[in-house]
Amino acid sequence: MSEVILQVENLVKTYGSFCAVGGISFAVPRGKVVGLLGPNGAGKTTTIQMLLGVTLKNGGTIHYFGKDFSRHRHYCLQRINFTYAFNTLLERISVWDNLVVFAGLYGIGKPRKKILELANHLEIIDLLPEKYQNLSTGQKTRVNLVKSLLNDPELVLMDEPTASLDPDIADKTLSLIEALRKARNLAILYTSHNMDEITRICDEVIFLDHGTIVAHDTPGNLTKRIATTQLRLTFDDHQKGIDDYLKSHPYRYTFLDNHVVLIDVEENLIPKLLFGINTIDVCILHIEIKKPTLEDVFLQIARGGKNVIL
Amino acid sequence: MSFCRIKSVLLQELRITYSTVGIIMDVFGLSLVSLLLFGFLSLYLTGTQHALAAQFLLLGMLLWDIVRIIQYSVSMGSLWNIWARNLSNMFIAPLYVSEFFLAHLLSGIGKAILVFTLDSVIAMLVFHFNIYQLGAVNLLLFFLNLSIFAFVIGIAILGLIFRYGIGIQAFAWALIPILQPLTAALFPVKVLPTPLQAIAYLFPCTYVFEAARYSLSHGGSDWHSISTAFFMNLFYLFLSTLFFMIMFRNAKNTGQFARNEL
Repeated sequence: MSEVILQVENLVKTYGSFCAVGGISFAVPRGKVVGLLGPNGAGKTTTIQMLLGVTLKNGGTIHYFGKDFSRHRHYCLQRINFTYAFNTLLERISVWDNLVVFAGLYGIGKPRKKILELANHLEIIDLLPEKYQNLSTGQKTRVNLVKSLLNDPELVLMDEPTASLDPDIADKTLSLIEALRKARNLAILYTSHNMDEITRICDEVIFLDHGTIVAHDTPGNLTKRIATTQLRLTFDDHQKGIDDYLKSHPYRYTFLDNHVVLIDVEENLIPKLLFGINTIDVCILHIEIKKPTLEDVFLQIARGGKNVIL
Repeated sequence: MSFCRIKSVLLQELRITYSTVGIIMDVFGLSLVSLLLFGFLSLYLTGTQHALAAQFLLLGMLLWDIVRIIQYSVSMGSLWNIWARNLSNMFIAPLYVSEFFLAHLLSGIGKAILVFTLDSVIAMLVFHFNIYQLGAVNLLLFFLNLSIFAFVIGIAILGLIFRYGIGIQAFAWALIPILQPLTAALFPVKVLPTPLQAIAYLFPCTYVFEAARYSLSHGGSDWHSISTAFFMNLFYLFLSTLFFMIMFRNAKNTGQFARNEL
């Protein structure tokens, strides 16, 4: 079992009678990426803000490296960092000056060496003399990543780090994060609305809804919680025959048009279903099996779906 | 307190000042324009029966700029970071609020010394007014008192902005001009109507301006006014710090501190 870097117990945040975060508990072990997912208003950002100390909690505890964050705030902040797509550095000064300021705030001994090393690694050497405001969104993301690694953090909280990036830059950024995580055995708490990203990068996923954890598992296990697979059949002109067959069985189905039907079916029942349809003299032209993804889990949870086994 | 962190905030402040025309105009340009305005007015008045009033004008203007520049520096240093959505970045680094404010106070003092020196030399050469005739001790005590007062106002305004959001950011630059007539910076307190005199004496810097005018017209030091200003400043510094801490805590409790950058 890896050392736990961040331990959250029963964390609560209320605004008057509104409960934004209602007693959540989780841990982030060293070297692991834990994703924090949930629809808008689920409590992700509030949780991150409390973990960083910019919003005060009403209850529960936050421990970094075994130390209580509220009592050892500066000790903890020295060993963690944060990057957020919509937090920027000072626009009017150069990238270099911004990074020197943060190197100083973290008490980096040889700031020049450290900045150059990271800038080289994240390929922003050419950007160092530029004013931050002149950078593209992708360049700003990489600069923000450099800032978040200046103090050699053991945990980085990443709040939608690839938001507003085009797919190519987002993919490169993700590769970079994966490489950094591997090279530094970095723990990451990661929020995103991009399910493919979460599936790719996270070891564990926590689903938040209305301030509570509704699911906490690996991405693979979470998708298994959706009981049914979706089968898309394209067939010849026998819609009525298929309709009659499906009506006589406990499947949920929808005809997209006269030749295409979507059927929700448990994966192990697909052969039986296909065999059954075959017996009613229907010619199946195309079969497409869509296995549940994390996005399906997300949508089911966000819409209060009954198909997710929580 | 870490010298390294204070130095970093100072570096940031220096770079913003250096690269922002608006700050250069607010700090240096406005001071120069005010000096020219009051300088020529004083030249005009010197030829009349109001020669002393002319000197009071220049004296008040030079001293008032210390308050204006330091308060501006303390309040605006945070606002530049809020506008850039960088303030929470600063506070999720291991930076103490006291270090952040001390750096902005030092920056304000540095700018105020620079502007004061430049303006006083111009006043001496162009308008024949030598503020150094007040004496080094007097000037140092005036500077100290005015700096504390500016800091008190600066952090109180920031407390309000942190708590209630940048919708009230105009306080950062619009409140201090309101205090200028109320603290009788440019004229003796007795000129004010009686109810306003009572209000004027609630402000420590009123005593500083009275003491400065006393030194200019009589020579020596008005120790009573200087010490009154100092002890009032200490009291207000305590209140203002407490007020800021309560506002800052409330801002973090209500989530407003984080929302300021959304």
